[in-house]
Amino acid sequence: MTALGYRREWAVGFWTLTRREVSRFLSLWKQTVFPAVLSPLLYILIFGEALGARIRLIDGFPYTEYILPGLAMMGIITSSYSNSSSSLFMARHEGYIDDVLIAPMSYWEIVLAYTIGAMVRGLVVGALVLGVGLAFADLPMAHWVTALAFMVVVSALLSCAGLVMALWAESWDHVMVLLNFLITPLVFLGGVFYSIHMLPDFWRGVSLFNPIFYMVNGLRYGVLGVADASPWLSFLISVGLTVVLFGWTVHLFKVGYRLKS
Amino acid sequence: MPAARFGRVIQPAPALRIRDLHKSYGTVHALRGIDLTIRPGQFFGLLGPNGAGKSTTIHILTGLVTFGRGEVQVLGRDVALDYRFTRRVIGLSPQEFRFDRFFPIREILILQGGYYGIPREEASRRADRLLERFGLAGKADHKIHRLSGGMKRRLVIAKAMIHDPEILILDEPTAGVDVELRRSLWAYLRELNRQGKTVVLTTHYIEEAEALCDEVAIIDQGRIVAQDAPQRLVEAGGDRRLEIELAAPPADGLPPSLAPHGPRLDGRLLSISAAHPRRILPGVLEDLYAADLKIEEVRIVESSLEEVFIRLTGRSINVDTDARRLEDGTEKQGADEAA
Repeated sequence: MTALGYRREWAVGFWTLTRREVSRFLSLWKQTVFPAVLSPLLYILIFGEALGARIRLIDGFPYTEYILPGLAMMGIITSSYSNSSSSLFMARHEGYIDDVLIAPMSYWEIVLAYTIGAMVRGLVVGALVLGVGLAFADLPMAHWVTALAFMVVVSALLSCAGLVMALWAESWDHVMVLLNFLITPLVFLGGVFYSIHMLPDFWRGVSLFNPIFYMVNGLRYGVLGVADASPWLSFLISVGLTVVLFGWTVHLFKVGYRLKS
Repeated sequence: MPAARFGRVIQPAPALRIRDLHKSYGTVHALRGIDLTIRPGQFFGLLGPNGAGKSTTIHILTGLVTFGRGEVQVLGRDVALDYRFTRRVIGLSPQEFRFDRFFPIREILILQGGYYGIPREEASRRADRLLERFGLAGKADHKIHRLSGGMKRRLVIAKAMIHDPEILILDEPTAGVDVELRRSLWAYLRELNRQGKTVVLTTHYIEEAEALCDEVAIIDQGRIVAQDAPQRLVEAGGDRRLEIELAAPPADGLPPSLAPHGPRLDGRLLSISAAHPRRILPGVLEDLYAADLKIEEVRIVESSLEEVFIRLTGRSINVDTDARRLEDGTEKQGADEAA
């Protein structure tokens, strides 16, 4: 087989799996995309309209606009994680992951394909939430390249987290453990609904140890041009975590953790 | 295999070559030094009871199971170092049905082709051909849960063939399928083999190995205990004898002329073990006539591969076959009741 043959094969296998991942969630859009866009709108309605009128401007923005980037980031985080974790867990649970494992694909191709598939879902949801925001509120989109960069990096990070959990999990409850007991609380404590300057000193200090705080603020900087943390520090933390988690995921696939006997 | 140099005839690499393969699951030593060479174009059977190590061996070839010690090559290339090549040339039809439940079966085949590097348009053409060949064209747009067991079995094999592999490996391809489908699968596999594909199958069913394989290896407790053509295994390891039922027990015993054959007499039943019972038959009959002994029935008894298997492994292979017969009986009874 020629070197060319290998390259061709590489591209086809990798893109086939990526395409499969994307078409899976698109065919289930009523479960995978719609609720993820609906719930931020509910937050805007409830918090924005009911509470927003009682809250003065934060960093010069009305409350509804201030929370929108955070809501988009929340959608990206939960959607990316849910996609990769449920897709891989299902494939493992039902055994059809073997189709991919016995195919002539390398482990990092497999991980990258699953990751990109989940990233697409996160990005679609994030873009829709921001799109709705743009339609109803006056978002400045101050640094849109920065905004896009944070959306891409965070969706990749959470996709990898989902893959690790899908490998470790032995039941659906396990798959959701990280999301329910760690990620969601961290999202709520990560400044989606408030600026940490509104917190007492102690809680403000604690917030600085929450990685999701940096992700929310990164996107807020990109969209509104204001943030509680340095965008560079936020980006560095997000990229660093993503690189580590991607490497770990590839490693787990390579050693066949809970995939091979 | 050493590289052929100056003037030596280049032997084609074996389709599969396994040397001293060991595999443990915790404290369970599943494979205890498997040695196996399968030539290109062979129809090869791996015969063994449940838990003998057949599936483990197969999964090591495709990379689903890791192994501790040993050497595993496919068409002369190492399965770990050159996995892109070795996986590309193998098509695996697993024993269990494990299908992507999100997509219709035509898409399942196209995706499978894609994983093996076949571009989508070409994979679509092949999928349509295979669906047609396996009588599944009418179900192309159905998802897997709407298929019967027999259809799923056909789809498993179609899936293994989508990338047109050199070597087709089938793990228990006819377990639980009805007689009609078994016959048609046999015909399909024979046809593939005639076209030059190497076919390797594991089976519980001795009759399947006898009917299809030009060579079988009997595997038991992680070791290969015998390997040869089915007929030769029977000849070498089996018992063949002449059984003659006399009209009455001989009053004066057997004629002394039979003594060289080592006859055994049990009442009216005379039996003589021989490598070639047919050859000694005329002489034995003459001796019996000469002694005025009347003959009621003559039988030539050859043991089956099944008996050879029991002799080698100390147990019967066909626990499952018995279960199937029972099942068939139950089904039939059910049908009668319904009628």
